[in-house]
Amino acid sequence: MATGILPKEMAVIAVPLVTLLLGVLIGYLAQRSGYCSIGGFRDYVLFRHTRLLSGYLTLIAASFAGYLLFWFLTPDAMEHFFWALTSNPLTPVPGAPAGLNPAAYLIFAAIPGFFVGFICMLLGGCPIRQTVMASEGSYKAGFFFIGMCVGSVFFASFVSGWVVILMRALGFGA
Amino acid sequence: MSTVPDTISINNLFSRLSRHPAFLGALIGILAAFSQALLISAGGPEAYGFCVACHTRDLVNGMTNIIADTSLALAPISKNAILPVMSVVGVLIGAFLSAKVHREHKIKRTDNRGYLVYFLGGFVVLQLAMIFGGCPYRAALRTGYGDITALVFIITMAIGVIVGTLLMLRMAEKEEH
Repeated sequence: MATGILPKEMAVIAVPLVTLLLGVLIGYLAQRSGYCSIGGFRDYVLFRHTRLLSGYLTLIAASFAGYLLFWFLTPDAMEHFFWALTSNPLTPVPGAPAGLNPAAYLIFAAIPGFFVGFICMLLGGCPIRQTVMASEGSYKAGFFFIGMCVGSVFFASFVSGWVVILMRALGFGA
Repeated sequence: MSTVPDTISINNLFSRLSRHPAFLGALIGILAAFSQALLISAGGPEAYGFCVACHTRDLVNGMTNIIADTSLALAPISKNAILPVMSVVGVLIGAFLSAKVHREHKIKRTDNRGYLVYFLGGFVVLQLAMIFGGCPYRAALRTGYGDITALVFIITMAIGVIVGTLLMLRMAEKEEH
């Protein structure tokens, strides 16, 4: 069990507050910069603009740097830092929650990745851009967000179970 | 010694930085690692500092569980805490404040068909993102954490965007002829 800077009794109270503050800061700056991951790749393909793409690539580099930094400072909180070296390299970060084999997790990454990129490109923004546009007053982005809210209940009730049953039936069980 | 030009240049620098996406990218990366270092005692998973899809799922399912007494699945960190993660609420508030302060808040309406397309788009994107276990942002955080499947997600996402862009260009060309 990983332990962070705050003890458990304080962390359970701090979770909503810290994430709320983090969200306000990110939302404010995302509105200023028009931050978008899908838009970065799109602008590069269409116009060879690297402005938004630099934001996404910096995020990958900075998250590595941040996790490395806090791995030095608080090694107990970064139990499996550099996942590929400390765990089975082909499983996703939470472990293997559904009890499927590594090939299934590569399929879970590759196929949703393609369609998330494709659909979000056609709708003009990744999830954070849609959320920010909803706050800017765009009704259709607001409906995208409502769709995500309804979808999360639907996913937890039906889809997560169906996907695991389907993958087991196809022979990807561990 | 006059301090006024210094303040102006600092303000200018900050206003330029705040409008550059790379600054926000660096900030999200560092703050996500910091929030994991701070809060991981409350529960996993790791590399969960910021994610629009997962945190929306946690928020909606967590609040539904509290209000309607259901037991929908959500991440342990939100299950153990007094309230689920609130970063999506924060993003909505922060973006609204910024849009109001800079006078960029503008109501934009479309027809009902547009609303339906975006609703279904959000619905489907969330299913796909949850099958993978994160939106593009958590994919970046997980790649930074050393997860190879997340790197596969980013590469196929880039391919999906390229295919979509080329398809749109092709359709636009056809309409011109």
